[in-house]
Amino acid sequence: MTLYKQIILENAQSPKNEGHVKNANLKASISNPLCGDKISIEIASSGNILKDIKFSGTGCIIMKASASLVTEKVKEIKEIKKINKLEKEDVYKLLGGELTTSRQKCAGLVLEAIKKALQP
Amino acid sequence: MNNKIIMNKSKKNTLNVKGDFPILRNNNLAYLDSGATSLKPRSVIQAVNSYNSKYSANVHRGIYKMSEKATLEYEKARELIADFINARFDEIVFVRNTTEAINLVAYVWGEATIRKQDNILASVMEHHSNFVPWQELAKRKKAQFRVIDIKNGELDLKDFAKKLNSNTKLVAITHVSNVLGTINPIKEIIRIAHKNGALVLVDGAQAAPHLKVDVKDLGCDFYAFSGHKMLGPTGIGVLWARKEILDGMQPFMFGGSMIEQVSLKNSTFNHSPEKFEAGTPDISGAIGFGEAVKYLSQIGMDKIVSYEEDLRNYAYLKLSKIKDLTIYGPKDINKKCGVFAFNIQGIHPHDLATILDEEGIAVRAGHHCAMPLHTSLHLIASVRASFYIYNDKDDVDKLVAALNKAIKVFK
Repeated sequence: MTLYKQIILENAQSPKNEGHVKNANLKASISNPLCGDKISIEIASSGNILKDIKFSGTGCIIMKASASLVTEKVKEIKEIKKINKLEKEDVYKLLGGELTTSRQKCAGLVLEAIKKALQP
Repeated sequence: MNNKIIMNKSKKNTLNVKGDFPILRNNNLAYLDSGATSLKPRSVIQAVNSYNSKYSANVHRGIYKMSEKATLEYEKARELIADFINARFDEIVFVRNTTEAINLVAYVWGEATIRKQDNILASVMEHHSNFVPWQELAKRKKAQFRVIDIKNGELDLKDFAKKLNSNTKLVAITHVSNVLGTINPIKEIIRIAHKNGALVLVDGAQAAPHLKVDVKDLGCDFYAFSGHKMLGPTGIGVLWARKEILDGMQPFMFGGSMIEQVSLKNSTFNHSPEKFEAGTPDISGAIGFGEAVKYLSQIGMDKIVSYEEDLRNYAYLKLSKIKDLTIYGPKDINKKCGVFAFNIQGIHPHDLATILDEEGIAVRAGHHCAMPLHTSLHLIASVRASFYIYNDKDDVDKLVAALNKAIKVFK
C-alpha cells in the first residue's frame, strides 16, 4: 500500500475545515472531469489577509485529504499573495508524493478552486 | 437473485490465448479494462509491423509492386471486416473510430435529413459518442432530441414506444451498454423504428468484440464500431451503412482519393466507400484491424460468446458475495455482457481503482463517458471491470481478493 498512507487516511476520515464560512466574500467551485467530483471553496478575507476558509463537496480520499491539508496550509500562510504562489507540486508534497498522473488531478483540485476563488 | 445462471465451476475452461498477448506474457497483470481498449495479439502487432517495415507505400496510388501490395492488403482487410459482420465489402467505410463514424452520419446524413419538425431518439445509456452528436445536431436544426429511459438496467421499451412517432427520423442506440453491459433488443427496436419510418444507427463498439454481429439479420441502417476494442490497433474504426444509404449521402471530407474528376470549377466524387475516405487513410491500422477479425474468426465468435458467458456468470456470482457491493445493470444477467460497473458503499471509485492498481488489476473508474446514465442512476461515478477473451477465472478471483483488501483499508 503505497498511496494510502496514514496522513492521507486520517485527513480524509476526519477532514479539517469542512463546511461553510459565515460571511464568505470569495467563493468558487470546480469539477473533476474524470469522475464528476465537485469541490466548493468559501473564503472570508480582509484586504490581503485570509481570515477563514472551508471546503465542501463529495470526492475521493485523495481529494478530501488534499482539501484538509491545503486549507490548513493556507490558513497558516494567511497572506493571499503568498497563497497564490502555491504550486500543485507543493500539494503533492503535503500528501507525501507518489501520486500517479490521474490521481494528481484529484489532489490538485482544491488548490485550483482556491486560486479561482482568489481571482480578483 | 437470478436462478438461471448456469456456471461451469471448472477453471480449466479457457480459450488458451493468454500466450498470444505479449503484454500478458511480460507481467502479472489482470487487465479488466477491455471496455476502454483491448490488448493486441502478436499476429496483429506483426501485421502492423510488417506493413511498416516491408511495404509501407500509399494505397490506391502507385503502380509499383509495393504500392499494389499495400492496396491489396488494405482492401483485403475491408473484405475480412465485411465478412465478419456479414456485409458487402463496399459498405465498409474506414474511419478513425466509432465516434468518427457516428459524427460522419450526423454531419452528412443528419444535416441533409433532419428538419425543424423532426425528432431524434437516443437512450440514456448511450456513450457520449452516440449522444452528444445527436444532441448538437438537434440544436443546429431546432429539432427535438428525445432520450429513452431505462428500467432496471434495461431499455424501457414502453418509453421508447411513447417517444417514437412519425416525426422520428433516427433512433441512435447502443447494441451493448459500455457501463451496464446490457444487450439491447436491437432487432425489436429496429423493427418498431422502421415501422414508424425512422432509420436506426447502432453503436456497436461494445458489441462487435463480444457478439456475433450480422448487420443483414439485424436489419439496421448504420452500424459503427472500433478496431481497438476488438484486438486491433487504435485509430481505425468502421462505419457500415446499407449501400443505397451510402450512395445517397454526400461526402464528409473533401480531398485526395475521394474524387473522380476535379476541374477548376467543379469536382465529381468517387463511389462509396472511397467517397468517405479522403486523404491517406490509416493503412497499417486497417491491416491490423483485418488481422484482428481474422484472429477472432479463427477462434470463432460462437466459442467466444459461450466462453465469455461462463466468465460473466462466474464474475457475477463472486462479486455478488461482496458485502455492500452494488452491481448496476439488468437483474437477469443473461441479458448482459461481461461488463460490471459497481460501487462499494462508502468507498470512492477512484480510491478503489487505485488499490486495485496496486494489486496489479487494471479497471476503470469514473463515469465511463456516460454521464447521463450515471445521473439517471443517481451516481457520480462507478468502478468498471470489463472482461475479454484473454481473461479467466483467476483474474476474477484476483479482483475479488483485492476488493476485499480495499474494504479492510478503507472501512
